Amino acid sequence: MCKIGIYLVCDYPNSEKFLDAVTVCEKYGMDFLEIGFPFSDPVADGPVIEKAALDVLKRENSNDFLQSLEKARNIFSKKLYVMTYSNVIFGYGTEKFAKKTEFINGIIIADLPFIESERFARIFDKYETNTIRFVTPETDFSDIDEIKQSSKDFIYFVSTRGITGGKFSMDTETLKKIEYTKKGFDYDVILGFGIKNSNDIKTACLYSDGVVIGMKAVEALEQNNFEQFIGSLKQ
Amino acid sequence: MKRYFGSYGGQFVPETLIKALSELEEAFIEFKKDKKAKREFMNYLREYAGRPTPLYFAKNLSGFSGSSVYLKREDLLHTGAHKLNNTLGQILLAKFMGKKRIIAETGAGQHGVATATAAALLNMECVVYMGKKDMERQAPNVDRMRLLGAEVVSVDKGSMTLKSAINETLRDWVKNVQTTHYLLGSAVGPHPFPSIVKYFQSVIGKETKMQIKRKENRLPDSVIACVGGGSNAIGIFSAFVDSGVELIGVEAGGESLELGKHSATLTMGRPGILHGALSYLLQDEYGQVADVHSVSAGLDYPGVGPEHSYLKDKGRVKYDVCFDNEALDGFKLLSSLEGIIPALESSHAVGYLLKHKKMFSGKIVVINLSGRGDKDLGIVRSKGVLDV
Ligand SMILES: Cc1ncc(COP(=O)(O)O)c(C=O)c1O
Repeated sequence: MCKIGIYLVCDYPNSEKFLDAVTVCEKYGMDFLEIGFPFSDPVADGPVIEKAALDVLKRENSNDFLQSLEKARNIFSKKLYVMTYSNVIFGYGTEKFAKKTEFINGIIIADLPFIESERFARIFDKYETNTIRFVTPETDFSDIDEIKQSSKDFIYFVSTRGITGGKFSMDTETLKKIEYTKKGFDYDVILGFGIKNSNDIKTACLYSDGVVIGMKAVEALEQNNFEQFIGSLKQ
Repeated sequence: MKRYFGSYGGQFVPETLIKALSELEEAFIEFKKDKKAKREFMNYLREYAGRPTPLYFAKNLSGFSGSSVYLKREDLLHTGAHKLNNTLGQILLAKFMGKKRIIAETGAGQHGVATATAAALLNMECVVYMGKKDMERQAPNVDRMRLLGAEVVSVDKGSMTLKSAINETLRDWVKNVQTTHYLLGSAVGPHPFPSIVKYFQSVIGKETKMQIKRKENRLPDSVIACVGGGSNAIGIFSAFVDSGVELIGVEAGGESLELGKHSATLTMGRPGILHGALSYLLQDEYGQVADVHSVSAGLDYPGVGPEHSYLKDKGRVKYDVCFDNEALDGFKLLSSLEGIIPALESSHAVGYLLKHKKMFSGKIVVINLSGRGDKDLGIVRSKGVLDV
């Protein structure tokens, strides 16, 4: 079974529509949700998500996001993750942030590579929130081993070089790395970045345990056809 | 190499860049050991860039301020600022690594020009990202970059200044990391960039130390440098950190010290993570990066190099501010007293001396004159400084 996760920018386009989108994801049986906490300088995101994040930041701050996150948790029954950038956590106070989000399943930090992850993981561990690690086509095999060992939840495989919203593609080198990451690993290997439609999902699912859809979900929300879009994914 | 300066620094970047950063680190270690590469670098600095730059005794300014003021004339370096030391070094490093495409961010445009220059010299493809606001206020440098063969990309997102330009350059790098070297222009960013930039800029400090010993038979009492990301400052400080010389880094006080109206990161900020490094940062209580302001595009940045954060906490360097109007006073005064038109960035160091004349009375002071001010005439005119 190939899992489908949806990425949503917290409170975009507004709090109500965001929570409606969460309800739609619950209704259509999406397997997990990543809630993006906006950051002023989202270097791992393309223009669509950056624009959405900056738009929300004009009106809201992390305390507002935390409230909506709790509501989303009450609506959505499967796994829920927060995706953000280091300073949204560090600048707020890592301990305080981890405590206030203790009801989520995991934390995904876009600008936190494995080599720097310990200082965050140590604190989130206390609240049983898993720090999600990334593997890329460039990651060495020995590093993949280490990343697998320290993971207690899925590994985010960044299948495409680039930022959210880029083109989806996989070369043989990438496929080899995905294969290696999956081997003997107790959790899922999820592909992210560049996955746009059910065709991409089918391709990705030949090799991985699931996918995350970000940019296209945010776009669908903007175009008021989110429910249709989500409905089309499971086909 | 060490990834941290005390508790500052690190590599807070998407996982995709980690391999490139470790390759860069390995190449840099090899590059430093390579005698031929080093000779080539020194040769370009001497024959092409015009090093050593003079350490000029500013007699009129000294008389005016009541101290002995020496100016380290980085404004006389080819392209008009200290930035070329770093771009020549890094472009040779990029060549050493077999990279063919160079990308860079720029604020004032000085780093962009210096990058475009080095890229033209070594025949490499060059793309420079520049905030839309900076393209307007530093227009002459945009023309220079284009003339030098670089593609200048206008960044009209976020603050549309240096910070947005770095965001965009990082995005390009994530996409094209296999073919492309990111030629970062200040002592900021993820490890090993702060160490690389310091290495290539340390020539400023080495020369200054020799020159002042020759002229005064002793070390100076104080060294003053402006701090944007901190490359000209770390370059000159590096020769003196182990001595007793007073080191002063001058940040942009902007219009006032209210958050949003200045870019005095070390003076007013607290530790945070931006553009790959843990360092002092101007941010709100939620960790969102604050808006910043400076009359000088090169100082208009909410972050600072991690080694400066370390030197601040250690108490080795004193960081203080010079406000927009004081920098403009410095700009005007140095022009009329010495016939030297300084960059608005460097004018902050000059303005600081003038503001604290008494403090430096009778002392030997070196100011790092990091660049020349031709690029700033438009801004200066709009501020009414040219009105009689
Ligand atoms: C002349 C000059 N001085 C200083 C700076 C500030 O940079 P840094 O702090 O890295 O020296 C700049 C940046 O553009 C500059 O052009």
